[in-house]
Amino acid sequence: MDLAAWILEPFSLSFMQRALVSGVAVGISAPVIGVWAVTKRLVYLTDGMSHAILAGVVAAAALGIAFTIGGVVVALLMAALVVFLVLRLGLPEDSAIGVVSQGLFAAGVVGATLLGDPRALAHILFGNPLTVTWPEVAAQGLLAIIVVAGCAWLAPAFAMAAFDPAHARTIGVRVGALDALLVISLALVVVIGLSTVGVLMCITLITAPAVAARLLTGSFTTAMLTASILGVLASIAGLLAAYHISWPVGPTIALIAIAEVALTSLIVLIRRGPAWRAQRAVTQERRREGVAHSGHSPRNSSE
Amino acid sequence: MHVKPSDVPPAVQLRDLSVRFGEVVALDHVSLDVLRGEVVAFVGPNGAGKSSLLRAMTGLVPTTGDVLINGRALRVARASGVAYVAQRSLARWDLPLTVEDVVVCGRQGHRATLSRPSSRDRAAARDCLALLGVQGLTHRRIGELSGGQAQRVLLARALVQDPDIIVLDEPFAGVDPGAVHGLADVLMKLNDEGVTVLCALHEIDIAAKHFARIVALQRRVLADGPPSQVLNGDGIAALYSLPVDHAQSDA
Repeated sequence: MDLAAWILEPFSLSFMQRALVSGVAVGISAPVIGVWAVTKRLVYLTDGMSHAILAGVVAAAALGIAFTIGGVVVALLMAALVVFLVLRLGLPEDSAIGVVSQGLFAAGVVGATLLGDPRALAHILFGNPLTVTWPEVAAQGLLAIIVVAGCAWLAPAFAMAAFDPAHARTIGVRVGALDALLVISLALVVVIGLSTVGVLMCITLITAPAVAARLLTGSFTTAMLTASILGVLASIAGLLAAYHISWPVGPTIALIAIAEVALTSLIVLIRRGPAWRAQRAVTQERRREGVAHSGHSPRNSSE
Repeated sequence: MHVKPSDVPPAVQLRDLSVRFGEVVALDHVSLDVLRGEVVAFVGPNGAGKSSLLRAMTGLVPTTGDVLINGRALRVARASGVAYVAQRSLARWDLPLTVEDVVVCGRQGHRATLSRPSSRDRAAARDCLALLGVQGLTHRRIGELSGGQAQRVLLARALVQDPDIIVLDEPFAGVDPGAVHGLADVLMKLNDEGVTVLCALHEIDIAAKHFARIVALQRRVLADGPPSQVLNGDGIAALYSLPVDHAQSDA
């Protein structure tokens, strides 16, 4: 079998076509929103959310409503609880995220077990795009288009709020609303990715291509574009691996996405070379002297 | 119609202004006026409330009391003609943005909500960079800037808002000594063009040299006047709780 046939033949089958469209929808939308999750340092929150959403999905299944609604409601509930614990009780943010997300995840596992279908639990946790239906694919595609278009259109506002939120507020940018929109979009993407990579692996598809793209590119626009290409490649490669060598789809897609980060890191290290490292040492020395900048520089006194 | 000077409201009026963070009182019943075209430095030790005062003037912290800008209650800072330059170290200089991307942010208030920057916005950004003598940085990555360059970029972002009042929090912190006076000259040049300049400063020597009015803060206004009156030995001793002889040698 030649390479073209090895790649194309699986997609002559109807269930693989549905899986392909589903994989492309998730492969584009998750990395695009991932660029902003990485930029805003929301990776741990997103990881927690991907666990917590299990409770919403199980509740939606029990109530007979759309998974999307259950997922988004629980994501917002989680965000509200984290904000409450941080602002009212003074808990560290990571502790609050850990407690709330694991609590909701445990509730979701118990709920799924009580519903009496362990296969459904495995499906939600690890995904299986080979069983996805056309209506589900259509819903995934629509939500992915909304998320990607929103990210592309709002990129300047997201960048403004990420660079200097205080200044953004003084010129009338609703930073809190943008943050809420970002959290809702992340929840939507986790729900979209549920049947493809599962809630546990979705964080990988959100984070890994975005990280690789940030290493390779110098602007948010090219980062979103590159991340989506890497996400689609991981999705398609995962489907092919599942078809030809019977690997589980979701974890395989996640492994390929991680491999993309490893490969990108290697390329960047080689490309930068010793001259770059020497220059970086000089820059770091200047930063220590307070002459140059970085986002990681110690903060001045604030009152 | 002829407008008498007395008919022109002050640029900033603070009336019985207090700022609290939980149990911590950052500002305690502060009242003062800043006239249009004044250049004012707010000095004081860490925790004196300098940053809180500036943030109150820009609507960033909840307050009690009144903040009037050009005689009207403060709304969104930009809509009131106030441009805010936060402490430089609080911004994310590691992001993949160019200098033009940052400066054009200041145009947000000049266009419809959620609309993207236009070519006119970008042209305005380049004009402001040119005005500050850093047009060569337009396409430079922000992570590659020196302290003085970065401060000018933030100043350009404020200028592109076309403000009446510029509020700067520690603009000289981390700027190398060679660039400090150039930056101060830029602020004075803006002031010459009618912009009211308000700065929170740690550097007493810069305040004394470049600012006509000094407000010494210690949660309240301890002293308010020209540098010779506020930044003499007794004034510095009172402000920083130093022995008078030690303060006189600093002054």
